Amino acid sequence: MPATLKELRDIKAALDVHSIVAITDPSGRITDVNDKFCSISKYSRAELIGQDHRIINSGFHPKAFFRDMWDTIGSGRTWRGEIRNRAKDGSLYWVDTTIFPCVGRAGRPTQYVAIRTEITERKADAAQLKRYAADLAEKNEELEAIVNTLSHDLRSPLINVQGFGDQLARACEQIRAAFTAAGTGAVPASAVRRPLEVEIPRALNFINAGVNKMDTLLAGLLRFSRLGREALTIERLDMDALVAEAFSAMKFQLDAAGAHVRVGPLPDGRGDRVQTSQVLSNLIDNAIKYRHPGRALSIAVEGRVENGQAVYSVADNGIGIAPEHQPKAFEIFHRLNPGGPAGEGLGLTIARRVLERQKGRIWVESSGHDGSTFYLSIPSAEPQPAAAP
Amino acid sequence: MNHAGALEPDILIVDDDEGHAILARENLEAAAVNNTIRHFRDGQAVLDFFFSSGPGPHAAKAGAYLVLLDLRMPGVDGVEVLRRLKADPGLRNLAVIVLTTADDFREVERCHALGCDVYLRKPVDYAGFAGAARRLGLFMTLLLAPHDTRS
Repeated sequence: MPATLKELRDIKAALDVHSIVAITDPSGRITDVNDKFCSISKYSRAELIGQDHRIINSGFHPKAFFRDMWDTIGSGRTWRGEIRNRAKDGSLYWVDTTIFPCVGRAGRPTQYVAIRTEITERKADAAQLKRYAADLAEKNEELEAIVNTLSHDLRSPLINVQGFGDQLARACEQIRAAFTAAGTGAVPASAVRRPLEVEIPRALNFINAGVNKMDTLLAGLLRFSRLGREALTIERLDMDALVAEAFSAMKFQLDAAGAHVRVGPLPDGRGDRVQTSQVLSNLIDNAIKYRHPGRALSIAVEGRVENGQAVYSVADNGIGIAPEHQPKAFEIFHRLNPGGPAGEGLGLTIARRVLERQKGRIWVESSGHDGSTFYLSIPSAEPQPAAAP
Repeated sequence: MNHAGALEPDILIVDDDEGHAILARENLEAAAVNNTIRHFRDGQAVLDFFFSSGPGPHAAKAGAYLVLLDLRMPGVDGVEVLRRLKADPGLRNLAVIVLTTADDFREVERCHALGCDVYLRKPVDYAGFAGAARRLGLFMTLLLAPHDTRS
């Protein structure tokens, strides 16, 4: 069924509108490209004709990938695949590619016709989806850990409420027995003194403490969960000013601790002013709480820009955190030093959450005895230099 | 401390929660367990006891002990205590019963890997525990001299 020349011209016109087309000779040299090829590769037709496809090779695929392609089309079979190419200006683009070998009389390819569709966006979406999935998996794990910790931490005071409730019942039983034994006569004080003076007050104490503990835990959980929903206002942060404010707000405690404070020049960052300042206050508060009793407290804040992130360090000379306890430091309700100063075990957990929400990070370094250095990173306020092509 | 040659082990409660420790002690006493009961507030304290470090009381050379070990403690936790005890040839066979609060299977698995497979879930039914321990002769057979490496 011979097609008319007009029909063939129509099909070619339609193809040129839809697809990126290149024709190469058997050795791989480009003999023809259409306009879409030129526009996506940013090379002119003159620059492309006579070259082979290495001119747009991005170096992403291993040699075996192209060897397989050549083996396939060289033996007269069609090849299909997704290729990442590099345009003249260095930008990268993905193309879904079909290479059709035109086989001559001798059964050998006389030329190859490559038809491509750009899929850069789809590739980016797929990569983004993968990142979202990994993020979700991580969040899920975090939530599971929180539920796990919380169920332990809630059950612990509950055991006291139950156990000392039983003790109360036992004390009542003792008193009742004393009354029964006394009949109509007087109840001897010796029979009721211990339950009334020791066992019942102690049980009530533990029950109260347990109930308060559960209340605190639930309030903390609520605060933590609310934090994840609060809207962030991301703006340029003058960190020198923010850190100075945080220190001056705690001047009283710092003076009481005889603290020496040193703040280096800090690069500006981008983040939420209120929440970032809460994190700073929390770190300073921790430095005061966990200072070393044997030396005057000193706190140094420094900053630098690294790979587009502004990294700030808050270093103290306090009691430090042993390396084996450092991973737990950011766990919800985990308190490294429960016998020490009051705290609900939420500060660092909240700090981590706050920083993650503004594309930052928080971590700690400490040898375990001569102080801790907390690092926090947020995006730098300075525009990033464009990546080299 | 039990008398030399006596078969009843001292019961060591290792728990950072003061209330839990009091309940354990009083419920065991209510179940007529007359063994000496000691309370350690954290993992380090019980390690000091067995490894004879620090100023506190230390384990007797020929003493017999039954350790009721809470897993979740600040600082040196129960898992770490278990790891240290099991790594010591003289303490490896010490009778340890792990107390868990939450059903944290990961922690239970870690303890299992460390060689402990006796668990009690809090809240512990101490009357039931004492009864079962008596019927099994647990107090008679689990006594192990911690520093006697020949056993």
